[in-house]
Amino acid sequence: MNLSSLVGTVLARADQWRWTVMPPLVGVAMMAMIVGALVAAPREIVQGEVQRLMYIHVPSAVIMYAAFFVTAFSSVMLLWKRDMRWDAIARASATVGVFLCAMVLLSGAIWGKPTWGVYWSWDARLTSTLILFLIYTAYLLARSVAGPLDEQAARYAAVFAIIGVVDIPIIQMSVRWWRTLHPQPTVFTPDPALPNEMLLVLLIGFVAVFALAAWLIMLQSDTERASQRVTALRAEVDHREMA
Amino acid sequence: MTEVAAEPAVYAAGLTRQYGGVTVVRGVDLALPAGSKTALLGANGAGKTTLLNMLSTLITPTRGQVRIAGQKPGTAALRRAIGVLGHKPMLYEDLSPLENLRFFARLYEVQDADARIEELLRRVGLWLRRHERTAILSRGYHQRLALARVLVHRPAVVIADEPETGLDPEGVALLDELALAAPGLTVLAATHRIDHLPAWATGVVRLERGRVAEDTSSIALPGEVTAAGPRGVVAP
Amino acid sequence: MGPVLTVLRKDLLLAWRNRSGWASAAAFATIAVLTYSFAFDLATGDVRPLLPGVLWTTFLFAGVFAAGQSFQDEVEDGTFDAMLVAPVPATAIFAGKLAANLIALLIIEFAQLLLATILFDVGLFTPELLGIVVIGTVGYVSLTTLLSTMGGHVRGRSVLLPVLVLPLLVPLLIGAVRATGAALGLESGTAPWMLLLGVFTLWSTLASVLLFPVAVER
Repeated sequence: MNLSSLVGTVLARADQWRWTVMPPLVGVAMMAMIVGALVAAPREIVQGEVQRLMYIHVPSAVIMYAAFFVTAFSSVMLLWKRDMRWDAIARASATVGVFLCAMVLLSGAIWGKPTWGVYWSWDARLTSTLILFLIYTAYLLARSVAGPLDEQAARYAAVFAIIGVVDIPIIQMSVRWWRTLHPQPTVFTPDPALPNEMLLVLLIGFVAVFALAAWLIMLQSDTERASQRVTALRAEVDHREMA
Repeated sequence: MTEVAAEPAVYAAGLTRQYGGVTVVRGVDLALPAGSKTALLGANGAGKTTLLNMLSTLITPTRGQVRIAGQKPGTAALRRAIGVLGHKPMLYEDLSPLENLRFFARLYEVQDADARIEELLRRVGLWLRRHERTAILSRGYHQRLALARVLVHRPAVVIADEPETGLDPEGVALLDELALAAPGLTVLAATHRIDHLPAWATGVVRLERGRVAEDTSSIALPGEVTAAGPRGVVAP
Repeated sequence: MGPVLTVLRKDLLLAWRNRSGWASAAAFATIAVLTYSFAFDLATGDVRPLLPGVLWTTFLFAGVFAAGQSFQDEVEDGTFDAMLVAPVPATAIFAGKLAANLIALLIIEFAQLLLATILFDVGLFTPELLGIVVIGTVGYVSLTTLLSTMGGHVRGRSVLLPVLVLPLLVPLLIGAVRATGAALGLESGTAPWMLLLGVFTLWSTLASVLLFPVAVER
């Protein structure tokens, strides 16, 4: 079984799962995470209750990168195969990624205020995340200016996404150097080793956010595909009326 | 009986192109012999421009193959063999006719560029105005300069999209003489006039809704049988 | 090399004929420097700490502003198609376009350096600083040229271009500003910043050159 048919099979399966397997899975995982984060996990001594935001902040940050990677991968596939279904996946993934990015920034700000006294501290990681937010918002803007079936615009956005993804590590490196090679007080101290209960909840958090993100990407791709079909039908009608 | 055909100058098999969900060109087959002058007819939206763009390799077909003068798309050899006369003049408005032609001659690596450019500019009546800015030339003279541009590298095949647009009768005569009726040149030109067949045309391909409805130009290729029988003349 | 030079000569010739467009970009850059002078009160005291930032933001904005121009006309007049149909590799078209934009922007930037030298009484024409300006310019021109090229068919492109390109250029901005600052003696150690600048420029140029033919296929 070659890669192409394997991917095809997985995607077809995912198609079936979006209304059957995913909703209960996501629901259970999110409930587990919420219960774990708010109730089961021990209270952190120094930072207090607000530290519980970690359980959504950290998984969101990691899954956000996964979502952007999916966008980049789909962009490569779009340029290679010229199949607009990849454009739908790329846009869906970017939308979910931007949402997760916003969650990271928001939870970071809320976490930061009581803990370090500021909403925003120009911490290297958060700053890079902000730039990433801007890049993928720009991607969505550039793509949405044109219609759902505009291949030219899709290719343009795909190239931009590929450049963006490769730029990310460079951006992170440069922002980190910007902060550390310049004498500034660092605000975020590295996490000390977490106790087992916290790690468990964190793990549940990862599963929950991953499931949620995957499900949202599936749903959003559906929406994009539907958009494409509507546009195609309209164009077909116009074309027939003209001839 | 049918003779064994030489490699057709313009060959297309199953050319299809979709744009945003609409299939604009559907399964077009062509086999235009060298030296033939084919008029491409069809109403607006029939797919003429898209077909021509696929043949000139400006657009990649969704499906199907193209070969021009035996060359495959993507090769410099194919691009050297084609001259494209599109809707837009494809000229630099801020450069002079001479500068425009020099640029294209260099791109195509024309050997006797200066002599060739002078010859063409004189033929189209722009030699005396060769240093003026192209932007100030009339539409008709734009088309004449475009004609010179197309011919400067001596293409084997000319692909034209409604080239008579904007030309006065004298310009049309020039177009016919230099390009459309020129001996040795293979021509596929879309023309809007469906009332009467252009004098220079030796054959016709008519498109209707993206399909070939009539083809009196293509030759039957040995061993090739299409769904409608051996490809070739379709009874009018 | 031949086709690259042919395209380059054509673009330089066009840039000269269209010099009012490029002059506007230069005027914009000058106005930007003046605006910063008023906004940050650069008339008093030692402006050197602010100067690298002022210079590089001006360069980037002018670069983005100017990028859109050169391709707009080509697409409208159909000459871009004419080049694609010619037996010239797409990479050569891009390289020629890139070189022309680079030369034009370097001229504008050097004019700004001259202006800043006079306005702020700072010695800016050192080999080190000029080297940084050249490398940094190559770094951003490659991306702005690529993105402005492809945007030829997208509506609302001119407003969108800065939004698209500026976040991508953050590493370049950081590296260039810090390196310029080090060259002016504001901080020690040019090395990491030059590394960042060099790596970014290398990557952006490579990526643009490789992605252009893919992007331009229709």
